[in-house]
Amino acid sequence: MKLRWQLWTGGMLALALLASACAPSTATPPPVEETAPPATEPATEPPVAGGIDCMGAQPGDTLTVMYQWSGAEEEKINQIFQPFVEACGVEISAESTRDVAVLDTRVQSAPPDLLFWPTTAPLTLYPDQLLDLTDVGAHQENYAGFWIELGSTEDGRWLAVPVKADIKSIIWYSPAQFDAFGYQVPTTFDELNALVEQMVADNNVPWSMGFESDAATGWTGSDFIQDLLLTQQGPAYVMGLIDGSVPYDDAGVVAAYETYVAWASDPAYTVGGADGTVSTGFLDAIYKVFSDPAEAMMVKQSGFAGGEVLSQYPALEYGVDFDFFPFPGAQGMQGGADYLMAFNNTPAASALVAYLTSPEGAAAWAQTGFDLSPNSNAVGQYTDTQLAKKADALAGASGFTPDLGDSIPAPFGLAEWGAIIDTVQGADIPTALAEVAAAQQEALAK
Amino acid sequence: MSVSGVMKQGRVTPWLYVLPCLLVIGLFILYPVVNTIALSLRDRSGSEPASVQCTSDRACWGILENYRYALTAPEMTTALRNNALWLVLMVPATVGTGLAAAVLADRVRYETLVKSIIFMPMAISFIGAGLIWRFVYDLQAGSGRQIGLLNAALDGVGLDPVPWLSTPGLTNLALMVVGLWLWAGFCMTILSAALKALPAEVLEAARVDGATQWQLFRRVMVPMILPTITVVTTTLVIIVLKIFDIVFVMTNGNFATEVIANRMFNLIVTHVGRSTAIAVLLLLLTVPVMIFNVRRFREQEEMR
Repeated sequence: MKLRWQLWTGGMLALALLASACAPSTATPPPVEETAPPATEPATEPPVAGGIDCMGAQPGDTLTVMYQWSGAEEEKINQIFQPFVEACGVEISAESTRDVAVLDTRVQSAPPDLLFWPTTAPLTLYPDQLLDLTDVGAHQENYAGFWIELGSTEDGRWLAVPVKADIKSIIWYSPAQFDAFGYQVPTTFDELNALVEQMVADNNVPWSMGFESDAATGWTGSDFIQDLLLTQQGPAYVMGLIDGSVPYDDAGVVAAYETYVAWASDPAYTVGGADGTVSTGFLDAIYKVFSDPAEAMMVKQSGFAGGEVLSQYPALEYGVDFDFFPFPGAQGMQGGADYLMAFNNTPAASALVAYLTSPEGAAAWAQTGFDLSPNSNAVGQYTDTQLAKKADALAGASGFTPDLGDSIPAPFGLAEWGAIIDTVQGADIPTALAEVAAAQQEALAK
Repeated sequence: MSVSGVMKQGRVTPWLYVLPCLLVIGLFILYPVVNTIALSLRDRSGSEPASVQCTSDRACWGILENYRYALTAPEMTTALRNNALWLVLMVPATVGTGLAAAVLADRVRYETLVKSIIFMPMAISFIGAGLIWRFVYDLQAGSGRQIGLLNAALDGVGLDPVPWLSTPGLTNLALMVVGLWLWAGFCMTILSAALKALPAEVLEAARVDGATQWQLFRRVMVPMILPTITVVTTTLVIIVLKIFDIVFVMTNGNFATEVIANRMFNLIVTHVGRSTAIAVLLLLLTVPVMIFNVRRFREQEEMR
């Protein structure tokens, strides 16, 4: 009797193990279905597939891509791939991960054909394995000079082409609230300062700031300081910080930190003061400006904030209840971009690269509304008014600076975020920055 | 009847029996350890000796340059100090809580219920526990209502909410409470089993001799279960030296809470040499505990 019970339990356990071993692994998502347009997306007409060059790819060829997108973002990129997939019959096998360690292991063993990554870090990590994009069929003529430079190594090989961009030097606000209190949108930094003081005098809290973001806590502070640097010092200074020619404890950086810390740690200027800034999540900080009653007047955040506001408060209307203005006085636009890089030069891979860098790809990207496309053919093709305004802001900016946090090596970035958290909580600014300067020197020394 | 008289085994046969196990251990434990030590003597990409990182304006330990980082860099001394704090504060507190729970639960009728409740956190993954306690410690700035359990309680009594997870110093203690919540059940279960194995006559005799409850506990019970307490303590020491998940999920090492394993994880992609040096350091720190365990095991064997 006892033996039968044990046999039964052992048999069940063995079955369970066998079943879990044979079940499809959930670590990597299953290959993308070619014919699965998501039902929730607004119906957009894909552009005519006649202009797509398949570059020798045969129907049934497989193409492995790796990217960080999941959920709604993944649906958008699939929508953008769709015309290409229909024209050439290529099967795209996608792996979605945000973990840089997963990327590292894959590259060391079996690199994906194409990689979409939000930073140019792979250029410094795998310069020998990435291929020059001109050999893979990319249309270099569709991209402005500074985009090519950002994606090239020092020896001039063009390894990364930006496919998606978002602008960051913008401040979100509620036009309804501004009208109610008689505030004007500032156009210079002095006007912004005056506006902040006026808000405090009216007993309104000007800023909503939120750092908290798990392992990346502090990145919103880094963005804000970069915009202050763009205003006070200029884009060349920021590029100097990125490549190490300007030490991080320079007087210019100290001045930017002093301005920022004065705002971020004072409860009259920021919701919750220092404690609020470091413990509020970056999404919660966005919501505070548009909640009812509003807890703050402005939040400086990238373009994605518009989508977040709509998903949290679906009743709000863009242009009436929420809108943005460029950071006043910033000499140039700070932004982030997702880059496309190639590890293997198969016909299918070069066909996709050619498609995305061509006018057809630009049109597909703009009409899908997956943020901005740096492809010059995308201008004027945006169907979403928010995106169109952002594209104008980007086109009208006097220059473009990549997000510092995205462009620097991880140890330097982590040190920077640590310094931001410490200084907002009261640490001495020059001492904290000296440590970051040491990390910067070490990380950028070749 | 001696074994050699019953079964004639060659001198090689026992080795053949053990060979598969030796192969597995060699491939999955020995080789990675040796490779890790070798990598810790290399630079950030693993391709050149670590001495290429030496610059003229700083002290340099040559080939052991990564160990110089692991032992003297400011962020590493903070991490080492935090691990020491975990050892000194969290381990005794957890063992003490487990012991108290074991002793007290022993004497009540609803013993099983109490023990199940205290043991249940062990069934939760460390990441899950970190997330749960993130919500418990949550702080809502501004005029919003508090959703964190602790801050909502403070708010209800009229006190100011406390930033549990963003105050250097307090955050460390907050994380240790999570560790205690997770492992007190483990200590309690093992110590309870040891307590129940104590011979009743000894306790009766002590009571007859006029010992109070406290004296009974301190002078009779604890010395008799001291070997078990040692086992539980050494297991907890090893766990605490490797602690990572709780710190990673709740603060990722910010606010002066970073620990060694956290640093190693943050460096693994960008600087292989330093990351492996920290791993070797962790291994060396655990070795004395292992030696202590093996020695005690041998003593117990001899006592039989």
